[in-house]
Amino acid sequence: MRNLRLGVVLLVCLVLGFTVTSCLGTSPAYISTTKTHNVHMIVKMNKGDYWNTVKLGAEAAAKEFNVKLTFKAPDSESDIDEQITMVEESIKQKADVIILAASSYMGLAQVVDQAEYYKIPVISVDAEVGSAKVKTYVGSNGYEAGQKSAERLIELLNGYGEIGIINFTNSTGHQGSSGSIDYGARDANEREMGFLNYAARFPNIEVVQISYTSSNTSDAEQLTRDMLLNHPDLRGIATLNETASQGAGNVIQELGFSQLKMVAFDSSPSMMELLQNGTVQATVIQNPFSNGYLAVKYAVEASEGIEVPERVDTGTKLIDLENMLWPENQKLLFPFVR
Amino acid sequence: MNKPKAYFFPLRPQPRKRGKLRLSSKLRSIQLIITLTFTAVTVLIAVIVSFMLYNKFAATAEKNANMNMQQIIEQVNYNLELYVKGMGSIFETAEKQITASPSIDSSLLGERMDTLMSSREDLVSVAVFTPKGKYVVGTPGQNMRLNTQLQSQSWFTSAIKSSEISYSAPHIQNLFKGRYTWVVSISKMIEYKENGLTKTGVLLIDFNFRTIDQLSRQVKLGNRGYAYILDRQGNIVYHPQQQLIYAGLKYENVEPVLAYEYRSYLDESTGEKRFITVRTLAQTGWKIVGVAYYDEIVTTKRDLNHFLIWFLGFVILGVIVLSIFLSWLIASPIRKLERTVKLVGEGDLNTPIDVSGAYEVEQLSRRFNMMLQRIRQLMDQIIYEQETKRKGELEVLQSQINPHFLYNTLNSVIRLAERGKTDEVVTMIQSLSKFFRISLSKGKNMITMQEELDHIRHYLVIQSFRFKNKFRYEIKAQDEVLTYQTIKLILQPIVENALYHGIEMMPDEGLITITAELQEGMIVIRISDNGLGMNQETLKTILSGGKTSGGSGVGVRNVNERIGLVYGREYGLTFESEIEEGTTVTVIFPAVRAQEGPEEGKEESVQ
Repeated sequence: MRNLRLGVVLLVCLVLGFTVTSCLGTSPAYISTTKTHNVHMIVKMNKGDYWNTVKLGAEAAAKEFNVKLTFKAPDSESDIDEQITMVEESIKQKADVIILAASSYMGLAQVVDQAEYYKIPVISVDAEVGSAKVKTYVGSNGYEAGQKSAERLIELLNGYGEIGIINFTNSTGHQGSSGSIDYGARDANEREMGFLNYAARFPNIEVVQISYTSSNTSDAEQLTRDMLLNHPDLRGIATLNETASQGAGNVIQELGFSQLKMVAFDSSPSMMELLQNGTVQATVIQNPFSNGYLAVKYAVEASEGIEVPERVDTGTKLIDLENMLWPENQKLLFPFVR
Repeated sequence: MNKPKAYFFPLRPQPRKRGKLRLSSKLRSIQLIITLTFTAVTVLIAVIVSFMLYNKFAATAEKNANMNMQQIIEQVNYNLELYVKGMGSIFETAEKQITASPSIDSSLLGERMDTLMSSREDLVSVAVFTPKGKYVVGTPGQNMRLNTQLQSQSWFTSAIKSSEISYSAPHIQNLFKGRYTWVVSISKMIEYKENGLTKTGVLLIDFNFRTIDQLSRQVKLGNRGYAYILDRQGNIVYHPQQQLIYAGLKYENVEPVLAYEYRSYLDESTGEKRFITVRTLAQTGWKIVGVAYYDEIVTTKRDLNHFLIWFLGFVILGVIVLSIFLSWLIASPIRKLERTVKLVGEGDLNTPIDVSGAYEVEQLSRRFNMMLQRIRQLMDQIIYEQETKRKGELEVLQSQINPHFLYNTLNSVIRLAERGKTDEVVTMIQSLSKFFRISLSKGKNMITMQEELDHIRHYLVIQSFRFKNKFRYEIKAQDEVLTYQTIKLILQPIVENALYHGIEMMPDEGLITITAELQEGMIVIRISDNGLGMNQETLKTILSGGKTSGGSGVGVRNVNERIGLVYGREYGLTFESEIEEGTTVTVIFPAVRAQEGPEEGKEESVQ
């Protein structure tokens, strides 16, 4: 009898409690910002305007979605081991999500699988990694970027002539040995592939040399000089990343090769200068801010268990003297007030 | 007496059947009623009060947050206005100096421009261009870039079009070598003198956008809220997430903003509730738009909400505990009392009721205890009285045919007969016969005074033969007394006592006087003798002591008891005695008229 009474009282309590809570409490239907997410972002390199802009975007998202962002990057784009160590560290520190711009497609694959083993979702930004465990890829389509670059350069050359390409971080030790593991960065390979495939349509266009620079401007300058020396009839140069573009641009301006056409990659302020004074005719730009922002946004969604798209293309754009001052491009080209 | 006590009360309540009735009676228990009522009322009040407080506080909080936000935007607006005004005044100073200068390329003007430039950190460049876009003069140390496309830039075109000062949207300054800087350009068509000729040209002053950006960036509207700036055309001048908007990742609903100069409203176009506050800068026509997220504005509301839920929870819990305790406090003594009373009801009159608790319950328990005690007393008394009555009646029954008395009397009759005293024998036998007849009187308890007096007369007649006229007797009764009722055989033991103890041992002739009269509705019978009398101790013990006078008759005490049982304790015998003087016994009982006179006669004839 006493239990029954107690039961009745409890029931009344519960009913009242539920009524009150259901009347007053409502839960938001979008990403929860009440919980702090611990997101680790590991990119290729800790310098360069490109990566700084990626970081800016990531920070914007971090502020919006209440994320504690840990940003890490090795000193050099080719320092694969350092990057692997950083991912391992993040796994140890029990990050909620790891965002990775892999310096090497295959080199980082194992450590990404390891992260997945510890139930840490991995999101690829900018450069893909050779693991099926990656939740999503946020970045531009490298192949398309390479094609855009080729299209403009060939147009500038009126469809004939010798072209040299300066690309980055393809592990030179493995070059040529077919069947070996691809240790290069995926984005570098894709850009090159896109460029070469487009150029192959034009019989009068000949790609005479492809050089690979580590992430170092002086190295890129040296490579450009060598290339110009080796191929005096060179009519066009395509560079496929920021450092390569800066190195090549510097050399061309220095030598005053005004007849040499060049299509660069990415948009550092010095590149803009070269673009405006006519040394460089065009540059392919990506959307680093969006990459950083979206990577963090999807990281939060992934850790909340929300379905994220497999691939997010943030697009590429070809910038030349004519459209560089268009307001919408100004914001993309010139990092907003540093 | 092997029967259970329960049979004392044939009408005691039968145990009820268990089941539904039982449950509903439990639900009607004091404790449950108090608990539920108390809880319900308190909880209801708490909930109502909480709701009222919540609504009141929430409304105030919302209003405050809204006002706070408007104030912040107002402040930003004010700061920006001040800043833009400052830019305007610098522009005017520069314009005056250039117009007043006799020659545009004078070194004095150059110096002045230099001073102006160094006076403000946020000044990026000052320059004058011809309407054709050719560079005329500027702060020293500036080298023009190639491919500037300045004629198509908005500051240039708007200066050519109107004579007012025009403020451009923030843009990249690409005219001079050095850094690419985000600037706000102020431009106007002015007149200047060159080589003595007055010419017109466009004066351009670039201000670093950083200051405006910082002013806007400082705006904190909660964690996620922000402010952005639109120009007259609806282009975004400043937005903390400008890149996202250009990349198409964000969307800002600017149409309702553009329609008003000064407004605050609730926007739900992005799917989330947001408070939008719009203010407009006077000089540039820029609109400062504050965006605050509703759910952040109402953080106080949510906190309050959480607090109230916890508060209510605790209050309800507390109230329940309190009311259970309180009702237990009230109900438990009552229940205990009820259980005890139930035990009493089942016949255990000796159950002590000792319930402590509320004053009323304690009083109830005490009174009940007293009542119980009284019941116990009364019951004892009843038992005692019943037993005494039965014993008395038995004795009376025995005395009706007292063999000893009969034997003595018959002996006297034999002696008289032997001596041939026929008359005496006849009188004796007659008296004996009548004596017994009245003694038996068909087993009735009550007889008339007439009969009783006859009975004692016959007795005295018989005894006077036996005592050989050792005493005389007188019976005087008022006529009206004779028709009243009396218990039978009440006089014989007294007279017997008087004979055996008062007169038998006396040397002189004894006298027994019996008077019966009606006094104030009571019958008073006095039996007095002039015998030996009694001392005071005997007097005291005569009614209480256990001694009965021989086996010949019913004891005097028995007479007293019987009168007491029939008429009440205040009636009975009183004794007055004096040694050597005699004893008077007074019998008093209420006068009740006999009703069944004719019946008696009828029965008489039957016997």
